[in-house]
Amino acid sequence: MLGCYDFCAHYDWTFDWIEREGGSPDLIEFWDAAIYRDSQQHAAQLIAAKGIDGMSKYWGQTLSEEAPDGGYETRIEDGRFLIEMTDCPSRGFLLRNQVEFSKDYCDHCMGWIGPMMREAGFKVDHTHNHQGQCYWEFRPDNSKPRAISSVEKWKKELREKWGKASFQLDHFGD
Amino acid sequence: MKSRLPYSDTKPEGAADFYFGINATFRFIINKYGRSAWIRYLREMGRGYFAPVNEQWAREGLPGVAAYWKEFFDAEPGANVSVIESENEVIVEVHQCPAIAHLRSGDRKIINSFCQHCYYLNNARAEEAGLSMMVEGGAGSCTHRYGPANALKQEMSDIKEVE
Repeated sequence: MLGCYDFCAHYDWTFDWIEREGGSPDLIEFWDAAIYRDSQQHAAQLIAAKGIDGMSKYWGQTLSEEAPDGGYETRIEDGRFLIEMTDCPSRGFLLRNQVEFSKDYCDHCMGWIGPMMREAGFKVDHTHNHQGQCYWEFRPDNSKPRAISSVEKWKKELREKWGKASFQLDHFGD
Repeated sequence: MKSRLPYSDTKPEGAADFYFGINATFRFIINKYGRSAWIRYLREMGRGYFAPVNEQWAREGLPGVAAYWKEFFDAEPGANVSVIESENEVIVEVHQCPAIAHLRSGDRKIINSFCQHCYYLNNARAEEAGLSMMVEGGAGSCTHRYGPANALKQEMSDIKEVE
């Protein structure tokens, strides 16, 4: 049987298998079709129906199961839902076990969360450092960007901290 | 004692919602590439991803297989499994399959051939270790048998489809 205990490792192996089978377009399709629309349909339904409250409920439940010892913080600020991962349980599992099957494991989160949020009417701002740390900002599509705010300061400080440690940063933003 | 599982986590059990991901991955591969590609995916995973465990099984034989499955199911939430060892066989009695139970409680559409994945995946692993295996039952409870090479032959009709 394929188990859930080491899911992150065979999930990473599967990314590599799909990419070898059909290239990166197939992997992007996999995250959208299989993960967002099928596996994570409960998240999609909750967030489409309840917006930021749905995000609180979804990540409250899923992170408490995946990371019972913590390693993350979520909050609502300025009408936005924010997540800071300080020790991602998923990427952390791979780092601790020295697993590296696919080219960039961290991309899978944006691969399913990105289309889910856009279809639910939210913009996404996300940066990850490949070392188990990342931030997420979800704000309503119709909200006006505010260049100077505590949220922007928080994101800038995290990017600077990770940059000083010479981690490779990947950024995705709407 | 060193864990017999290929990888270890800081928590004692996995997160059950990952079973949703496994079922969805199977559906995607079957829909996108076809059933024969899904079987190839499982066999390649059995030989490649599980190589460290296969080597352990090859070294330790059936006692290693029994010890592995006990530890494996201890880390799967909702599993109710007995592992019975005899001189020439290991029988894994799955009284409650944790994956099927969680998929059903989550009201998920389970792929009909879900239970066949245990055969294609684990038979590839057993072959790598110089053993054979077969599955009987399915759709929530089943029996896996492990024995010496060529001792066990699978009839696919012995594996139930998930309704």
